[in-house]
Amino acid sequence: MAESVIVAKNLYKIYDLGETKVRALNGVDLDVPQGCLCAIFGTSGSGKSTLLNMLAGLEKPTKGNVTIAKGRIDQMNESQLAVFRQKHIGFIFQSYNLMQNMTALENVALPLTFQGVPKEERKIRAAKMLKMVGLGKHMEHRPGQLSGGQQQRVGIARALVVKPEIIFADEPTGNLDSATTLEVMAMMQKLTREKGQTIVMVTHDNSIASYADMIVKLIDGKIVSTEYRAVPVQAQTVIDSETADSEGKI
Amino acid sequence: MRLGDLFRMSISSLFKRKVRTILTILGVVIGTISIVVMVSLGIGLKSAMLDEMSTFADLTKVQVQQNSFWGDSSSDKDKEEKRLDDALVEELSHLEHVEQVCPTVQTSALLKFGKYICYMDLTGMTNEEIARKNFELSRGTLPNSRDELQILMGNMVLAQFYSEKDYSMPYYEKGEALDVDLMQDSVYLILDQDAYYGYATNPDGSTIHAKKYPLNCVGMMAGGLDEFKNEYSWQAICNIDALKSALQKVYKGRVIPGQPVDKKGKPYKEFFYNNINVYVDDMNNVSEVQTVIQNMGYQCYAEGEWIQSSLRELNLIEVVLGGIGAVSLIVAAIGIANTMMMSIYERTKEIGVMKVLGCRIRDIQMMFLLEAGLIGFFGGVVGLGISYGASKLINTLVAGSDMGYSYISVIPFWLTLAGLVFSTLIGMMAGFFPSRRAMKLSPLAAIRNE
Ligand SMILES: Nc1ncnc2c1ncn2[C@@H]1O[C@H](COP(=O)(O)OP(=O)(O)OP(=O)(O)O)[C@@H](O)[C@H]1O
Ligand SMILES: [Mg+2]
Repeated sequence: MAESVIVAKNLYKIYDLGETKVRALNGVDLDVPQGCLCAIFGTSGSGKSTLLNMLAGLEKPTKGNVTIAKGRIDQMNESQLAVFRQKHIGFIFQSYNLMQNMTALENVALPLTFQGVPKEERKIRAAKMLKMVGLGKHMEHRPGQLSGGQQQRVGIARALVVKPEIIFADEPTGNLDSATTLEVMAMMQKLTREKGQTIVMVTHDNSIASYADMIVKLIDGKIVSTEYRAVPVQAQTVIDSETADSEGKI
Repeated sequence: MRLGDLFRMSISSLFKRKVRTILTILGVVIGTISIVVMVSLGIGLKSAMLDEMSTFADLTKVQVQQNSFWGDSSSDKDKEEKRLDDALVEELSHLEHVEQVCPTVQTSALLKFGKYICYMDLTGMTNEEIARKNFELSRGTLPNSRDELQILMGNMVLAQFYSEKDYSMPYYEKGEALDVDLMQDSVYLILDQDAYYGYATNPDGSTIHAKKYPLNCVGMMAGGLDEFKNEYSWQAICNIDALKSALQKVYKGRVIPGQPVDKKGKPYKEFFYNNINVYVDDMNNVSEVQTVIQNMGYQCYAEGEWIQSSLRELNLIEVVLGGIGAVSLIVAAIGIANTMMMSIYERTKEIGVMKVLGCRIRDIQMMFLLEAGLIGFFGGVVGLGISYGASKLINTLVAGSDMGYSYISVIPFWLTLAGLVFSTLIGMMAGFFPSRRAMKLSPLAAIRNE
């Protein structure tokens, strides 16, 4: 089995709401190997987003520790985390969160801008990413001029452009219809297969979870089962890598 | 992040909210205008006043005066008599900050042309002092001979001629000056007025006849007959040595008017000066030099003295005016802070996304500081532009009115620079706390779907 890139030990997150305490995470141990597409699956309120945020270093755990790509992110301060995220982490949002006043190309280039990459290089790398997700023809479009699926692909390109070791995605297909969901899932499978990147995604949909190599099931802030699939369901779509590269039409 | 990218992002988010940005900038524009115009008025008033004064008075001059010679024989007997002589000229010229020491002799003289006569003061100056006065001439040259009594005539003298017979004054009664060319026509100069009127007698009792010298007028000061340009406009100037020897010749053996006498009423052998003008290197050292000379036991007077004190008042006015201007810039700063806070509330999610995507918190703070600074800077630039226009307008209005000044608003280069730096700094200061807030926003804001 491949080396672990994400190790969480004894994670607790307790929200103190005065009279009541919400145990969003109640002692979670997790170990995600490299190149794995991991799905965190559970019902609403089970603590999926809380776990993901903790793994991505967006929130501090009440107790426990998280090691990502050999970095103890629970011990880092805000500015160290920012640098760490720049280098190792990509993030895909459910609601895309693209900058409305920027073109697709500029949006994808944004993390490179934060890294201080020169403008010309940014453009080349962002364009390459957009072509890879099949949006070669939509580089100068603004988010408002793109469909939900296209926007999410811009979001994915943005997460990938810094070549991160780990990609986090909170319900990446939550706003998409079933056909586009399939495209996105196929893309994610391809990334783990071909590039060896690790993806952790959150979903409450059983059928989406079934595309993953590893399914972590959460109930009330506790992992109740971890299922490894040697042969996960293949997300079959109209496009494959070849058509996507050549100015994808969907 | 690269500085260029920071600027680009700040500018583009300013552009995204054009109306709000313009309104906030407008606040800074008004603030800058008020502070710059106010200070320019302070500076302008001061400089206009100085200009005005320096045409009438030499602000670096300390005038050492002869002690009143009727007082020293009676009341101040024990006091050492202080006389203005060459030894003093020498001594004064060694004082610190003193540039030039110029003794003067004053007397009054009479001009006679036919039946017309005219009284005037005649001042003998050193050639150096004549040169430094920068007299504007309409004709001729400056007097420079030390032997021959050459006269530089004030521009208002000609108007003072009157008829000895009926006391009519052609200029004031008929509106036209006496038709005489003081440089060409045969006009006479009489120094000994007592003799002219027949009051002067020799020791033996015989009447002295006044000597009439043909007037040797070598130059005329520029200006109209009733145009008071400076204190010399209604006087005549000549070389001090020439005047000295002329006086000594005319008053041979008698007391020269204006010269001190001993207890017996006899003149001294030595010739004393009426004034010694001490020129100081800088206006600000005038009072120091004045004090030194006073401590030496001489009376002295500086025209710059009261101007100094009114300048101090003007400095205060300048500060007060600047303060009033600063208040409106502070109001503008509050406007900037408000705009930045609004912008940060609106962009909570955007800031969160940027943080999740790996934007450093310093860069986020920098972006907002730059935004606020740019608002201040643009406001400053536009405000300064308008201030220049306003300053021109004020000066045009003032020059056209009868205030007596040709300008009252001056924007020196330092004020331009200070205005720009100040407005930018104010903007950045106003943006500081909002930027801290943006820095501290949680990246989770990006994840939460509202
Ligand atoms: N900031 C917070 N303060 C208090 N309680 C919180 C906070 N964030 C989450 N919780 C609580 O923690 C629990 C887990 O929330 P979480 O968002 O992780 O659920 P989830 O599994 O992602 O649900 P969903 O599928 O609806 O997104 C919930 O009971 C929620 O009310
Ligand atoms: Mg959730």
